[in-house]
Amino acid sequence: MAQCVQSVQELIPDSFVPCVAALCSDDAERLTRLNHLSFAELLKPFTRLTSEVHMRDPNNQLHIIKNLKIAVSNIITQPPQPGAIRKLLSDVVSGSQPADGLVANVITAGDYDLNISDRSIKASVPWYSNWKDTLMEMKESSLNTATTPWFESYRETFLQSMPASDHEFLNHYLACMLVASSSEAEPMEQFGKLSQEQHRIQHNNDYSYPKWFIPNTLKYYVLLHDVSAGDEQRAESIYEEMKQKYGTQGCYLLKINSRTSNQASDEQIPDPWSQYLQKNSIQNQESYEDGPCTISSNKNSDSNLLSLDGLDNEVKVDGLPNNFRAHPLQLDSSSDPSNNIDGPDHVKSASSLHETKKANPGIIHGACLTLTDHDRIRQFVQEFTFRGLLPHIEKTIRQLNDQLISRKGLSRSLFSATKKWFSGSKVPEKSINELKNTSGLLYPPEAPELQIRKMADLCFLVQHYDLAYSCYHTAKKDFLNDQAMLYAAGALEMAAVSAFLQQGAARPYPAHYMDTAIQTYRDICKNMILAERCVLLSAEILKSQSKYSEAAALLIRLTSEDSDLRSALLLEQAAHCFINMKSPMVRKYAFHMILAGHRFSKAGQKKHALRCYCQAMQVYKGKGWSLAEDHINFTIGRQSYTLRQLDNAVSAFRHILINESKQSAAQQGSFLREYLYVYKNVSQLSPDGPLPQLPLPYINSSATRVFFGHDRRPADEPITVEVAFRNPLKVPLLLTNLSLLWKFQPKDCSGKNDEEVKELVASEPEMIGTEVISEFLINSEESKVARLKLFPHHIGELHILGVVYNLGTIQGSTTVDGIGALPGCHTGKQSLGMSVRGRQDLEIQGPRLNSTKEEKTSITYGPDRRLDPIIVEEMPLLEVFFIHFPTGLLCGEIRKAYVEFVNVSKCPLTGLKVVCKRPEFFTFGGNTTALTPLSPSASENCSAYKTVVTESTSVCTALTSSASSVDFGIGIGSQPEVIPVPLPDTVLLPGASVQLPLWLRGPDEEGVHEINFLFYYESVKKLPKIRHRILRHTAVICTSRSLNARATVCRSNSLEDEEGRGGNMLVFVDVENINTSEAGVKEFHIVQVSSSSKHWKLQKSVNLSENKDAKLGSREKGKFCFKAIRCKEKEVATQSSEDYTFADIIFGNEQIISSASPCADFFYRSLSSELKKAQPSAHTEKQSVEDAVRLIQKCSEVDLNVVILWKAYVVEDSKQLILEGQHHVILHTVGKEAYSSPQKQEPPEMEPLKFFRPENTAVSSRPSVEQLSSLIKTSLHYPESLNHPFHQKSLCLVPVTLLLSNCSKADVDVIVDLRHKTTSPESLEIHGSFTWLGQTQYKLQLKSEEIHSLQLKACFVHTGVYNLGTPRVFAKLSDQVTVFETSQQNSMPALIIINNV
Amino acid sequence: MAVCVAVIAKENYPLYIRSVPTENELKFHYMVHTSLDVVDEKISAMGKALVDQRELYLGLLYPTEDYKVYGYVTNSKVKFVMVVDSSNTALRDNEIRSMFRKLHNSYTDVMCNPFYNPGDRIQSRAFDSMVTSMMIQVC
Repeated sequence: MAQCVQSVQELIPDSFVPCVAALCSDDAERLTRLNHLSFAELLKPFTRLTSEVHMRDPNNQLHIIKNLKIAVSNIITQPPQPGAIRKLLSDVVSGSQPADGLVANVITAGDYDLNISDRSIKASVPWYSNWKDTLMEMKESSLNTATTPWFESYRETFLQSMPASDHEFLNHYLACMLVASSSEAEPMEQFGKLSQEQHRIQHNNDYSYPKWFIPNTLKYYVLLHDVSAGDEQRAESIYEEMKQKYGTQGCYLLKINSRTSNQASDEQIPDPWSQYLQKNSIQNQESYEDGPCTISSNKNSDSNLLSLDGLDNEVKVDGLPNNFRAHPLQLDSSSDPSNNIDGPDHVKSASSLHETKKANPGIIHGACLTLTDHDRIRQFVQEFTFRGLLPHIEKTIRQLNDQLISRKGLSRSLFSATKKWFSGSKVPEKSINELKNTSGLLYPPEAPELQIRKMADLCFLVQHYDLAYSCYHTAKKDFLNDQAMLYAAGALEMAAVSAFLQQGAARPYPAHYMDTAIQTYRDICKNMILAERCVLLSAEILKSQSKYSEAAALLIRLTSEDSDLRSALLLEQAAHCFINMKSPMVRKYAFHMILAGHRFSKAGQKKHALRCYCQAMQVYKGKGWSLAEDHINFTIGRQSYTLRQLDNAVSAFRHILINESKQSAAQQGSFLREYLYVYKNVSQLSPDGPLPQLPLPYINSSATRVFFGHDRRPADEPITVEVAFRNPLKVPLLLTNLSLLWKFQPKDCSGKNDEEVKELVASEPEMIGTEVISEFLINSEESKVARLKLFPHHIGELHILGVVYNLGTIQGSTTVDGIGALPGCHTGKQSLGMSVRGRQDLEIQGPRLNSTKEEKTSITYGPDRRLDPIIVEEMPLLEVFFIHFPTGLLCGEIRKAYVEFVNVSKCPLTGLKVVCKRPEFFTFGGNTTALTPLSPSASENCSAYKTVVTESTSVCTALTSSASSVDFGIGIGSQPEVIPVPLPDTVLLPGASVQLPLWLRGPDEEGVHEINFLFYYESVKKLPKIRHRILRHTAVICTSRSLNARATVCRSNSLEDEEGRGGNMLVFVDVENINTSEAGVKEFHIVQVSSSSKHWKLQKSVNLSENKDAKLGSREKGKFCFKAIRCKEKEVATQSSEDYTFADIIFGNEQIISSASPCADFFYRSLSSELKKAQPSAHTEKQSVEDAVRLIQKCSEVDLNVVILWKAYVVEDSKQLILEGQHHVILHTVGKEAYSSPQKQEPPEMEPLKFFRPENTAVSSRPSVEQLSSLIKTSLHYPESLNHPFHQKSLCLVPVTLLLSNCSKADVDVIVDLRHKTTSPESLEIHGSFTWLGQTQYKLQLKSEEIHSLQLKACFVHTGVYNLGTPRVFAKLSDQVTVFETSQQNSMPALIIINNV
Repeated sequence: MAVCVAVIAKENYPLYIRSVPTENELKFHYMVHTSLDVVDEKISAMGKALVDQRELYLGLLYPTEDYKVYGYVTNSKVKFVMVVDSSNTALRDNEIRSMFRKLHNSYTDVMCNPFYNPGDRIQSRAFDSMVTSMMIQVC
């Protein structure tokens, strides 16, 4: 329970005070009316005694009464209507709200910091910072209190408005003041009349309501004298008369109105009435004696209070249908019976009253009263209490005590045995009296049991709690014996209270008394009001004893369906109890706050409901209890909405939507609709205000992409912004009129820069055109990108701020909602579903900075400029189209395609280049192709190659031509990846287009290839900021296997060389069809083999078989052998070093000119890419090798390149196609195999890891054996077979010529050793049966490329086959005497057959 | 049998909460959340020294008009809360205790999953089906 301003020891006595009635004459009433007060109201502020009072109890003990208060009220003959009381209570509660600026009370409970009584908590606004400092304060002071003034007002009003009942006397009138005015004609007569009137009211059966304590009520005569108007003498004399008649103790002369009201305001007099009258409209009720008026006055004060508190908003809520307008108690009042009996005069009085009350707030109470008058009134009340009331009470107590003692004596001493009989006899008698009241029996007013109770009540009223307790206790026993449950419960209740209030705590607080009383009231008597009073008292007492959990249980138990307001208040108090416990139960607090909030809202107390939910929210917020959190947020949103706190409503609804909601789709749909509805209302309130920020859909800001693309519009290139939306909800979202929001600062070229920087936001079509997407649907939980375009027309700085759109739902979505939608949402007025216009900003966080130390230690982000493009002058804009661009190719296939370049801008472009990582893939053709006809359609069926028809006779011999690599763009030092596009005029004018042929060659590896093109171009004008633009394209080509070529070159041993110099080579080319026939390739035809070299050329085909066409079926392999010769020296001399000689050997009747495009282009490109690959490895190896070695190596090098041109016959869709292609084999070294396609290399074996540094093994500078062996070429010339008549001549002498040729450019010493070097006996047997005759060792020196022949003689003794290849040739460079000793040449077997004739 | 089963993390946010689908889910969420106060109270009521030997089963936390709420706390302060229909008299303390033990075992299995990130919501299918079996069994 929340802390109260009053302690319980003050609260209870103040709740039960002696009641005094006031009966005024009309004149007297008129006097007090001058102050806008009734007589009872006049006394109100002064009814608490400032001094202690003494009285004697029945035992003659002196008893001190402290702080006694009396209650004076006008007599009302009508019992208060329950409906009216309800209404009154409701008004009191709604009228008492926590002040806005109040310092919030914060309770720290575990890990929760709770802000208890701040109404201005907003659901989602981070309140934390607000009360952080408050929190610190609160921690220091141990006083963790939370006040709930609305509850206290409620309780006070509730207790005061308790209708008097028969079973207790606490609020029965003890005395009656009879008030007359001194200005009356016959005051004494008037007193007599009043006295009779009082008597009539008390004793006539017509009036059952004002209950009187005892039959002979104390009458106190008061003469009211108006000082400013009346005659003082007369008043004094009347007073004298009164004193004589009623005794000095029973009358009083009260002088008031010392000044006239119109002379007011020169003296500031405090207005002690205001606090009583405003909040407590029970006075209003009492100020008019007619019963019906009470209702109307209540109504009035109600509207009064409402308007005071600004709650009239509620009535005016216009956007909502009626059930929100209806105040719950208005419904009550219409069904109120008292309303129905209202006559026309009620209406009249009500209206007149209305007028008076309207003016009420401006009225100053007690305008005619001076401070002296205040003192006089105070004096009067004291006098009345001391001299009139207390002696009366004292006397009554005494009388009752005497009765009691006598009865006690009787029952105890004499008839204790028969008591049972008595009581038994009573039962039937009383059961007759038992009325509709289910509470048990009713005692007649004079029943002795009631006398005890009366005495107890009196004692209680005068704070004699000891006596009161014992009386209550006795009474309780009696009542229980009689089964008079209502009486018993009342006695129990008061016994408990008085036990608690006893000084010095004689006995512990009997909580079980209270429990029994509550239970009896509630269950047996069905009297919730009494039960409630009991609970309120008991809870307060328990709370004062820190028994919070018991108090909470008590409070919760009393919540019921019949009164929402009461339940709400009690639940709230229970919640406060939970949080005040030693270990605060935060969650219980929160839960009960929610329950309280629910009940408040049912009771129409919207502000309180909202406050409760907000307070509960603190506990649930951010703890993962999303379902509960959503519910609270939803309720907060609604309550805020009905209270017109639209911002709060919006933020609460927003909260539900932006959290990853775990609600069902239907639920989310209704959340969304309500959100939109509320939002719509907000935006309608301020149509010109800034657009609201919408929470949905989510925007993944960092995924925002900006394209500066184009779509064939000349100039005005659009800026495309790709925004990534995500819909977190399970319902689809519909965005309409989606467009970008931007800010533009145009740059004024004329130089008046800074001053005229205008900022334009959106909707300026002449500056920036904005594309609007009319509908953009995002399905449930979908991520989708929207591409939004801007068309800048001016130069300047553009800032893209965000997106603006209408957020809406789809009508067709489910309309089932769990909690229920705001009324009006479904009223079908918005047939297209609800939508609100709002914006969302794009805020992109830049990259995390991590370069300096400072940046590393802190988290800082750089700026992100992607949304701030600068609009500059026009640039050329290129578009590229590929025509006939294939998607699939055979490896090595050549295909002709076309490429079209279009300048779509308004300014010319130049310097067009294309960059590609794989320049060997395509070519635009060399300079020679300029003459080729350029129509793609015309050349569709033609060969990609340039061909010349030849006669078939020239089949075997080569046709030579030459070309320079410079012509094909392969210059030295230039980057092969950058290929200039041969534009006709090097400039492409605006709007112009150029079509160029483009040859493609399928890459040598099979598979899918991504080939990236990057087109580069520049503007003709030199612009300061941007010089060039680029355009990218990626082509995907799928290649399939075609041919695999393998070539080796070796020296020819033959002597047939006519030239005799330079030596000949044999080139072996193996071509294998490795196509797996998926592509429908029937067969390959090798149509031509060309060589390309600086020094060598193919001369002729050597072993041309009958397979003239060189067909290769699937998986077939063909072998070709060519003879290559050195180019003629003079040819070589005339050509520059970059010139290549091309030699074509044709197998068909068409020569493909290999030195022209595209054949040569691709050849050069593959060559250069090959060189690029080879370079790094060659470099490292050869670095330290000396010149000599290089010389030696050089002679085994050959730079012959073979181009194999083929045709493939492909059947595709029963149509035969002929595809063409070419493969390159690059030969470097004699005797080494080279391949057309790169061979798959086994990954090198992992070397074992070494943990020591190997010694720097000196790189052997010796050339390898292989290299040396190729230094000297040997060949033996002899007759292949010889018939020799051995029987005639036993020795057969054969002349053999050994031809030694120096392959190197240096002089070489050669030693020829003819001696057999036998290593094993077997080899001797095989070879050894012939001998060389003559000189067995020759020493020679061969000059550069010299050929020397040695005439040898071999001698045979048997027939047989002999290997003549035994001479061992040792060679060394002449100038290198010691370094390279010798090397043996592995000669081939040279077999000779010796036959016998 | 059980109408609502919840696993609450040490920091008192739900790791897993499931209730009988026919009922108002929100109500159970509130109920379970509120019961945490009682759990806290019961834990703190035990002395520090006793914490080690304490029984994990906390017994009946509180009864409401229609339901009984039972609690169980693991040594790592993970709370299990089970809401049982009051009218179901077949469930005695022992049955509840064994249900909790089952729940605990299943929870331990979830924790043993190397792909489970402690503190995340439990989404294990095995755990789910175990809870389903506990909810259906008698109903």
